Amino acid sequence: MQVICISRGTLGRGRELAELAAKKLGYSCLSREELVEAAIKEGIRVGKLEEAMLKTRAFGERLAIEREHYLAFCTAYLCDRAMEGKLVYHGRTGHLLLPGVSHVLRARVVSDQEHRIQAVMNKMGLERSKARKYVEDVDEDRRRWTKSMYGVSAEEVVNYDIIVNLEQMSLENAASALVGIAQLPDFQMTPASKKTMLDLRLGAKARLALARDDRTCGATFKVRADSGVVTVSYVPQDAKLAEFIPDVLRPVPGISEARITMAMTNILWIQQEYQPHSETYDKVVEIATKWNAAVELMRLAPEAEYTAAQPGLLAESMSEVVSGSRDAYDGGIEDDTAELPDDNGGLKPTLDELARIGRSGGGRAVYGDQHQLVEMLGRHVPYTLVVVGDVFLSKGAAAKLRATRDLRGFLSDRIKAPVVTADELKSQYLLGKRDVVRTAVFIGLTFGIYYLLFTNQDLVLEFLSNSGWYADAIEGTLLARYGWMSKIVVSAAVFLTIPIVAYAYGSVTSAILKWIKME
Amino acid sequence: MQDLLFGQFVHLDLATALQVVLLGFIGGTLSGFIGSGGAFFMTPGMMNLGVPGVVAVGSNIAHKFGKAMMGSRRHGEYGNVDKRLSVFMVATALVGIRLAVWINSALFEGAQGDHGAGGSGASNLYISMVFILILSVVAISMLRDALRRREGDGAPSMRITNFLSRLHLPPYIRFKVADVTVSLWVVMAAGLATGYLAGTIGVGGFIGVPAMIYLFGVPTAVAAGSELYLAQFMGAWGAVNYAFQGFVDIRLTVLLYLGSLLGIFIGAYGVKVVKEVMIRVVTGVVILLCVLSRAIAVPIYLRQLEWISTNPDWDTYFNQASKAVLFLAGISGTVVILYNVVKAYRQRRRIQATLIELKPETVTA
Repeated sequence: MQVICISRGTLGRGRELAELAAKKLGYSCLSREELVEAAIKEGIRVGKLEEAMLKTRAFGERLAIEREHYLAFCTAYLCDRAMEGKLVYHGRTGHLLLPGVSHVLRARVVSDQEHRIQAVMNKMGLERSKARKYVEDVDEDRRRWTKSMYGVSAEEVVNYDIIVNLEQMSLENAASALVGIAQLPDFQMTPASKKTMLDLRLGAKARLALARDDRTCGATFKVRADSGVVTVSYVPQDAKLAEFIPDVLRPVPGISEARITMAMTNILWIQQEYQPHSETYDKVVEIATKWNAAVELMRLAPEAEYTAAQPGLLAESMSEVVSGSRDAYDGGIEDDTAELPDDNGGLKPTLDELARIGRSGGGRAVYGDQHQLVEMLGRHVPYTLVVVGDVFLSKGAAAKLRATRDLRGFLSDRIKAPVVTADELKSQYLLGKRDVVRTAVFIGLTFGIYYLLFTNQDLVLEFLSNSGWYADAIEGTLLARYGWMSKIVVSAAVFLTIPIVAYAYGSVTSAILKWIKME
Repeated sequence: MQDLLFGQFVHLDLATALQVVLLGFIGGTLSGFIGSGGAFFMTPGMMNLGVPGVVAVGSNIAHKFGKAMMGSRRHGEYGNVDKRLSVFMVATALVGIRLAVWINSALFEGAQGDHGAGGSGASNLYISMVFILILSVVAISMLRDALRRREGDGAPSMRITNFLSRLHLPPYIRFKVADVTVSLWVVMAAGLATGYLAGTIGVGGFIGVPAMIYLFGVPTAVAAGSELYLAQFMGAWGAVNYAFQGFVDIRLTVLLYLGSLLGIFIGAYGVKVVKEVMIRVVTGVVILLCVLSRAIAVPIYLRQLEWISTNPDWDTYFNQASKAVLFLAGISGTVVILYNVVKAYRQRRRIQATLIELKPETVTA
C-alpha cells in the first residue's frame, strides 16, 4: 500500500517520470486529471474552485463548503486506490491529502525552464515571450491553488522527501533514484501509518456522506476519525441541521461511534499523558465552555514508546528491505496483525469525558517529535488556542522545561493561534487571585482618572485650548515665546493619557467579562 | 445650538455625558460586529450633540488610538497582521492625516463667526459631505455584495487588483504574510487616501480594509488585522495633530471608552452567531441611515454659511431629526445584534452534545 506522490509542473516530464517509476515498481499509476474527472462526476464544481482561486484568491461561504467536499472526495479516492494496491500518484501536491502517513513518499520533479518553454512553443504554437508568460502563469496558478486549498507553499522544500531535477538527469536515472528511495524502510507501511491512512479515509468518507446528503450539504463540518470513532463539529449557525447528522452517518461503513459537538472553534491540547479531571483538564474545559470551543487532544509520545511496544517490528522491516526481498517484505507488513500500543496515555477516557460534556473535538496519538506533530494537524482547522501540557515526561526537569519551551516556540511559528503552556493557561485566560488584585488596582486608577477629569473640566479644557491657567502658567517662559512648544506639551499629554485610560479601563472590562464568562 | 466652551468644546451635563457613553456603546457594538472602528456612528453622533465636527473627528481619532492598541495585539497572535504592509501604508497615511487636519483646521478657524457655533459651519459641512459621499459608496457596495453572495458564491472580486497588476508600475513590493505583490505607488496612494479620510471623518477601517482587499488582493482576515495595526499609528498621529490644534476633547474620548470597550465584546460575540450575509445587510442598512442622518443636518450648515436662507428656528428641528435617525439606526442595529447574541447564548445552553452509539461495524482494511 505504499504511495509515491509526485508533484509536477506543466510539461515538465513529471508524468513520464511517474509512469516510468510505476512501471519499474509494478505499481498502478493515478494522475490528477483522472482524480479531477472523478470529482467532476461526483458533482463537485472543480472548475468553479479553480476560477475562484484565480479570480478572487478566496472562497466565499458556499465555495468553502465545496472545497471541503472536494478535499474529502480526493482523500477518500486516493486512500481507496492506495488500499487496493501500491500506487504512484502524480499531480500538484497530492501528498498534502495524506498528512501524517509515513509510507507516502513525497517527491517533487523540477525541470529545466527552457525545456518547458520550448515544449509550450511546440505544443501550442506560441512565440517565446508568450510561451514564457504561459509557463510563469501556470506556475503561479499552481502555487495559488496549493496555498488556497492547503494553506502551504508548494515551493517549500520541507514538504518533500526528495526533489528530482531533470535538468541533467535522464528520466531513466531519475526513475531509478525514486525506486531506490521508495524501498528504504523509512517509507514502508507500519501499523501506525496504516491506521493513520484508515482514519483519514474514514473521516473523508464521513465528510463526503455529509456533503452528499441534501439535508447537511450546506453546512460547515469538521470531521475527525480515530479507530472507528468519528467526531463531527458544527458551528452554532448550523445548529438546525445537527439532528440529521446521525442519520446521514449511519450507513457509512467503518463507523463504530459518532460524536457530535457544536463548537465555534477548536482548542488543541497537546500532552503526553491525559487524565480526566486533572487540573489542566479542568482549566481547558472551563475555557472551552466559555468560548464554545471543541477540545482536540493530540497525544505526543516519544517514538521509543511505540517501538518498545513492538520490539520486533522495525528490525524485521529493515532486514526485509536490505535483503532485497521487496515483495516478501510488503506482504509481511500488510499481513502483520500487530496492534498499536494498548495504553494510549489516558486518551480514550479523556475523550469520553469530553464527549459527555459536549466538548469533544476528537483526538489522536503522535509518536515522534514536533515535526510529526505538525504534520498531523488539520490544515484548515481554526484553532483559537493551543495548550502545551505535560510532555517529554522521560526527561529531567530542566531538559523537560527547555524542550517544552522549544516546542512552544516551534508551534508558535507554524500555527496561527496563541500557544501557551499549561502554567500560563490560568494567568492568561482564567481569573485568578492575581487578576482580582490587578483588576482592583485598575478600577481604582480608572475611577481616579475619570473623577479628576470630570471634577476639573474647566481646568482640563483650558489646558487643551492653551488658555486660562495654562496660558498664565507658561507666560514669560520658552513655551509661551514659541507657541508651538506649548501645543506640543498638550499633544504629548493627550498622547500619553489616552493609552493609559484605554489600557486601564480595557483591563477592567476584560476582567469583568472573564468573570461572567463572556469574554 | 448651545454655546461652546472656549469656542470649541461642548457643555457636558449628565444627560449629554450619558448620551456620549451610549454612542460609544452602540459604536463599539457595531464595530465589534463588523470589524471597523465604529466612527461612522460616533462622529456624526457627537455632531448631533452639538460638538463641532472637527472636535468630533479629533476626539474620535484619539479614541481610535487607544482602542486599536488594545485590539491589534490579539490579531497578531493569529498571524493576521502583515506589519510590513502596514508600515508601507502608514508612511503616506500620516501625510494624509496631516493634510486632513490642516484642511479641517483651516475651515474651522477661517470661518469664525457669531453664530454661536464657533465658526464650525464650514468644517461641519465639509465633514458631512465627505461622510455622505464616501459612506454611501461603502454602504451600497456592502449591500450589493450581500445580495451577490445570496445568489451565488462571492468572495471579494479581484477585478481591480488584476487590472492594477497589468499596469506595470514598478517597483513592486512582496508582502509575505498577505501573500501579495503590489506596486509601491498603489500602496502609497491607498495609504494616503486612508489617512486623509481617517483624518477628515475619523473613519479608517471602512476605507483601509476594502483598499487592501480590492486593490491589493489581501485576504480579508489579514486586511482586518493589518488595518488595526495601522490604525494605532494613524490614531496616534491624528490624536497628536488634532490635540496640537486644540481639537481633542479628552472628556468625550474617555466617555466613548466607557461604552465602546464594553460594546465591542458584545459585537464580537454577535459576529460568531450571525451569518455573514446578515452581518453585511445590517451593517449596510445602518450605514445608509447614518448617511441619511448626516444629510438631514446639512441645511443647518448651509444656512450658517448663508448659502441658503431658512428660518434659524428650524435648525433645532433639523438637528433633532438627524439625531433621531442616527439613534434609530444605531439602536436598531444594536438590538438586532443583542437579540441574536442572547438567542445564541440560550440556544447554546439548550443544545447538548450527543453521544451516539451506532450499530457496530467491522472496520474494513
